[in-house]
Amino acid sequence: MSGYLKHILIISVLIPIKLFSQDIIQNQYSYALSLYNSEQYYDAVTEFKRLLFFDGEKEYVYDANEYIGMSYKMGGKFSDAILYFAIAEMNAGNDEELFNSKIEIVRTNILRRTISHAIALLDSLQKDKRFTDKQWDIYYWKGWAYIFNDKWDDAAREFSKIDSSKTLMIFCKNVDQEQYSVSFANIISHFIPGAGQIYSGHYFSGFLSLGWNVLWGYLTINSFVNNRIFDGLVIGNLLWLRFYNGNLQNAVKYAEENNLGITNRALDYLQSGYRGIKP
Amino acid sequence: MKKLFFTILIFSSIIFSQEKSHLANDNLFSPTNIKRFADYLFCLKDYLRAANEYERILSLVQNDSIEFKIALSYLEMGNFSEASTRFNSIKKSSSFYKSAQAQSLKSVFQTGDIVQFRNQYLDINSNKAYLDSAGMASLYMFSFLLTEEPLPNEDEFIKTFPIAEKSKIKNFYDWKQDPLEKSPLKAAIFSAVIPGAGKIYANEYSDGIYAFIATLVAGYLAFDNFKAGHDFRGWIFCGLTAGFYAGNIYGSAAAVQIYNARIRFDFINELKAFLEDKNYFLQVFNFCN
Amino acid sequence: MDNNHFIFRITLAFILSFSFSTFAQTDWVKWGKADYTYQINNPVEQRNYSFDLSNPGRFLLKSFANAYWLFISDVDGDNCSFSPTCSNFFIQAVERTNIMQGSLMFFDRFTRDMNIFGKVNHYPRVPGGHFFDPPSLYILDSDSINYIPPSVVVKNE
Repeated sequence: MSGYLKHILIISVLIPIKLFSQDIIQNQYSYALSLYNSEQYYDAVTEFKRLLFFDGEKEYVYDANEYIGMSYKMGGKFSDAILYFAIAEMNAGNDEELFNSKIEIVRTNILRRTISHAIALLDSLQKDKRFTDKQWDIYYWKGWAYIFNDKWDDAAREFSKIDSSKTLMIFCKNVDQEQYSVSFANIISHFIPGAGQIYSGHYFSGFLSLGWNVLWGYLTINSFVNNRIFDGLVIGNLLWLRFYNGNLQNAVKYAEENNLGITNRALDYLQSGYRGIKP
Repeated sequence: MKKLFFTILIFSSIIFSQEKSHLANDNLFSPTNIKRFADYLFCLKDYLRAANEYERILSLVQNDSIEFKIALSYLEMGNFSEASTRFNSIKKSSSFYKSAQAQSLKSVFQTGDIVQFRNQYLDINSNKAYLDSAGMASLYMFSFLLTEEPLPNEDEFIKTFPIAEKSKIKNFYDWKQDPLEKSPLKAAIFSAVIPGAGKIYANEYSDGIYAFIATLVAGYLAFDNFKAGHDFRGWIFCGLTAGFYAGNIYGSAAAVQIYNARIRFDFINELKAFLEDKNYFLQVFNFCN
Repeated sequence: MDNNHFIFRITLAFILSFSFSTFAQTDWVKWGKADYTYQINNPVEQRNYSFDLSNPGRFLLKSFANAYWLFISDVDGDNCSFSPTCSNFFIQAVERTNIMQGSLMFFDRFTRDMNIFGKVNHYPRVPGGHFFDPPSLYILDSDSINYIPPSVVVKNE
């Protein structure tokens, strides 16, 4: 037998040993994936980490890190999830994988309510020439980021750019219209004490605030008119100013409380009732 | 030459791929591979996973170094009672026994049960079974700084510690003997003489000044209203003056109690930081380098 | 890959290599699927307008407190930088001790509330930003003093 043939024979015997090792790794991947699919996320993370440790060929480095990230995300461990999505991103083999890991980071940032990070990432994706065909995905997740940031008009604007998200656009617009204007409540309370509270539906508090401000205002002015300057200063500063500031605080507080209730009802619907893709 | 080249090529590709994959054999769940993975997790401080992997090995093969690492994992996670139990389960015949006894003692100490710690120490000390004898003696003496019992004699106390630590230990000992606490009664008397003085004695300088101002202003308004013939308002301000005055006396005593609590809190924290820094005077284990 | 992207990836790899041991601590307890909600958790503090019927004195005290809260305190804004507020502090102090001692504690609290400069380095905080100052620190019982340093944010009051 020629020398070359001998060596080819040796190599062809030894290669299956290497292939057999990769079979083991593939089996481990399937096992870890089955744990993930059966919602045993902690154990899934363990097995994916085992896979990564023994995967000498680095064949599964992207997928394993993606699934570890998703396991952490399902467990509510958002910071850990972002760490592993970032590792997956570093090991992405193509633009599709790179985009998917970046979007997972965006989605996890939205859930973690670190919205500025999510928006910054989406802005950088928007400028990235590799992802010009992914604009609708970017608008979609920007909309969700604005939803979680309680900016429903901005969310509606983003969803309006996508043909298939008209339902979400209308929903966000309705929520925005239902919400009270905190700045309006604040401004009218400057002119008429209690008006902001009445605008938010807190009538008792609003009229009481108006009454106190009228009383202390009358007493303050009366003191100054009757040349009781010290009395006027004391009543004006310690009483009238206190209740006037209280009226401004309550105007903002009650409008924000009402808006929180509206926002939470909307978020509850989106989480339990909406059938589309969610963060 | 060509034969040599191909031989080297074949063997190096096999060896190299084995090294990259950490695979010792064809079974990921063999004891060797589980141990490699467990050691990797341990060095990443993923202690619960590491402990679970080490437990897998124990179910296949008895190994006291594995038992020791499991106990160490629980210790690192702060599960001191479990760590102590695991350390105590290591047999006398094991080479890790003496280290395990020392670490068990450290675990008990960290649970905060000083009585149990001292009993266990005295029991071990009587058997002369532990390795870190000097360290254990130092920790035993140190425990007196954390409880309200009378301290041992100063020389007897300090001699158990390493030379490098004696100066710091003496400071701790002196503080414990004489904690520099202040007297609530003194603070109340100071505030009765000058409103706010007791708070300043308790190092609450701005509170003291405001207590003085409040009492003074209320008193002046009472005096001014009486002088102007406004008796009703005068009595109201008189009542407020009395309230601020009495409240300042009361508050000064309370402020000193809080001051004393703060210096005790700072002392305990300093002791704990010192212990952590010295690893409780015990041997440090580093399985990761 | 341009230079900036290369530098970013190297920097990220460097940071990530140190992050593993820090993040491993979340896995020191076995966890399962989380049941998280999208809703914003910002609980609105509700007043306790209940009446204390245990004795006439407490009933009277709570009635005055409820009236004060309803007609004055809820209208004049958030003026107390402490938690519990001064009125709540007074109620709790009287319940814990007696009317005399509670009143002395209240006058002392009122004086400390006037001090706008000395609070930052003195009291711990609660999540809303107010300074944590419970009556248990002032009942002249050193065993009941649970000292918390100023740098801490108290989660469970």
